Amino acid sequence: MTPSDEPSRARTAQRVLARREARIGLLFVLPAFIVFLAFRFGPAIASMALAFTDYTIGATPNWLGLENFRRMLDDPVFWSALKVTVMFTVMTVPVSLAMSVGMALLVRRAFRGVGLFRSIFFLPVVTSLVLAATVFTWIFSSNGPWSSLMGRLGLPEETWLGNPNLVLPALVVVAVWSRFGYGMLILLARLQDVPRELEEAALTDGANAWQRFRYIVFPQLRPALFFLAVIETTASFQVFDLVYVMTGGGPARASYTLVYELYEQGFRYFNLGYASAIGVALFVMTLVVALIQRWVIGRDR
Amino acid sequence: MRRRTTRLGALTVVSGLLLAACGGDDAATGDGGSGDTQEITMWMYPVIFDEADHSAFWDEQVAAFEADNPDIAVKVEIYPWANRDEALGTALAGGTAPDVVYLIPDQIPQYAHTLAPVDEYLDDTALAAYRPNAVESVSMDGQLLGAPILMSINPLVCNKAAFDDVGADYPESWDDLLALAPSFKDAGYDVTNYWGSVDATLNTSFYPLLWQAGGDVFTDDGSAVAFNSPAGVAALSLLVELADGGYVERDLLTTIPAFEQTNTAKGQIGCTWQQVPADLEPFWGEENIVVLPPLRQRESIAYGTVGALSIMADPGDAAADAAGRWVSYVSSEAVTSEYVVASGYFSPYALDDSLYADDTRYAEMETHLDAATAGTPHEHARQVMGLLAPEIQAALTGQKTPEAALADAENAAANLFD
Repeated sequence: MTPSDEPSRARTAQRVLARREARIGLLFVLPAFIVFLAFRFGPAIASMALAFTDYTIGATPNWLGLENFRRMLDDPVFWSALKVTVMFTVMTVPVSLAMSVGMALLVRRAFRGVGLFRSIFFLPVVTSLVLAATVFTWIFSSNGPWSSLMGRLGLPEETWLGNPNLVLPALVVVAVWSRFGYGMLILLARLQDVPRELEEAALTDGANAWQRFRYIVFPQLRPALFFLAVIETTASFQVFDLVYVMTGGGPARASYTLVYELYEQGFRYFNLGYASAIGVALFVMTLVVALIQRWVIGRDR
Repeated sequence: MRRRTTRLGALTVVSGLLLAACGGDDAATGDGGSGDTQEITMWMYPVIFDEADHSAFWDEQVAAFEADNPDIAVKVEIYPWANRDEALGTALAGGTAPDVVYLIPDQIPQYAHTLAPVDEYLDDTALAAYRPNAVESVSMDGQLLGAPILMSINPLVCNKAAFDDVGADYPESWDDLLALAPSFKDAGYDVTNYWGSVDATLNTSFYPLLWQAGGDVFTDDGSAVAFNSPAGVAALSLLVELADGGYVERDLLTTIPAFEQTNTAKGQIGCTWQQVPADLEPFWGEENIVVLPPLRQRESIAYGTVGALSIMADPGDAAADAAGRWVSYVSSEAVTSEYVVASGYFSPYALDDSLYADDTRYAEMETHLDAATAGTPHEHARQVMGLLAPEIQAALTGQKTPEAALADAENAAANLFD
């Protein structure tokens, strides 16, 4: 036995222990994993298979190959829905992120009543979106508070939900309202980890608020922001409840999104094969966007 | 180590069992369990609003039927109206569909290939006694796909308080309606309402106007759409004129607000063909409901739907036979008469006597049943609505002319008929 054997044996013992722990860990995860496999992956894979068929309720599916995708490329409704979805995402994600950062910075420090403010700002996240959308439908109606506010600002006093150019901004307002609290919470947790001394040192060096945020706080927030950007983008690409409750895709398809088309094709017309194809397209697009975001925001890590 | 392996094995088995339990149970459907009894299930919806009354009605019918048919056990399940297509579609896909289901004409084309024709189960006198429009609404390719048990009608309903206030006569035609519009507007009323949200059905909104103008949604042979016609343009132009003049509530053109927030519910409206007296009575008061014949342009036609019982079991199956006997029983004139009076609808049978002799408004509606149609069932009916409704909105919000909107919808619909 040479002295060098000792640490190597310890390493082996450690590895055995680690493997054992991993196995026990796996055992704990297994039930959840199986449920996930059965109710998430299974249907997802099945729907990918359905995308290549003409499946409808109660009939045997026929294999169509790429026909559904070809139809999608020729379908003006699909392209208009894609455009609406992208526009909605492009408006929602930055506004929601900016709002989350802003609110997180505001409620970051301990002051009297901060807990109350944090709870209030988080409240929309745990509010049923369908319920909120119903209330917002009234808020945006011709006689609602939003229209009178616009009137006071000297803008036309009309319902935003009835104007093809304003319907998406209206939905963005509701989406941001319902989601910024979640982002705020994530960023708040991250902000607690930023050493106070760093900022105090910067303050002593004469850095102003913006410089302290830009050079000290922001770099620390980057991973959390990347996470939020991905989550927000995915959520925006999948926007459905708001459209379903508030506009039904109108006026004249100005708020007709991809998931709404998927729903209509699947559950109103029972074209489940075509609906699955739209789902696959949506999945691929979300994946690509997430990879791009990873490359841009997550580059340093 | 061995103990752990055993545990892992046990866990896998348990999980496997769990999965198996979650899987489909095709074998269980249709089997009544005890030897000779054929069990059938019917899905119903709250046609009678009061749940206890509704259950009691069906309990009574089931008991009466089972007494005469001891070999059949009927289970009636009452589901909410909301999302009923999702629930039914999922059940069909999962092999747990009911044997009998309540459908309306709008749904029938979607499920047509899963439905067994009901003609062979109904006796000829019953078939002959049905109102022809009730039968037509639930027939496809010459086959009756549901046994009608009730009918509804959306006549013209006017608000007496508003007419008294304005001092006007009730309208009979489109021209009358347009002529009334400015004086109603001056007095703070909308002359009528139009629900334009794209997820609202066109059956109660645009199609009645199209029919009144002599037009139709599809060509007679069903091989193409027919709404892009002079009748279609006339109908859409009427709506555009009402919208541009500010004679209808603007928000309703694009959204579906809570009903009590609408001018319609507030009584700030003259007439409507899109709500029935039952919707309006709680808001306007019984004394202000005036039921009138459907508006006339070339014809006086209203939307009216039919509630029918369809059979989802495979024809030739023992379950289908039992379902047929049950459907034949509950769609009889006697049972349906009791049902429609309890639920505030109308009989699909051409009866000699009114069921509503003591209620003038319902009696008035009853006289217009022959002028009601749910349109001809067509496999693309819903898709066509999905393409047409946004174009109607585009016209109502001033983005397109009526002609251009209908032409664009016609072009988009052409893809469905390739």
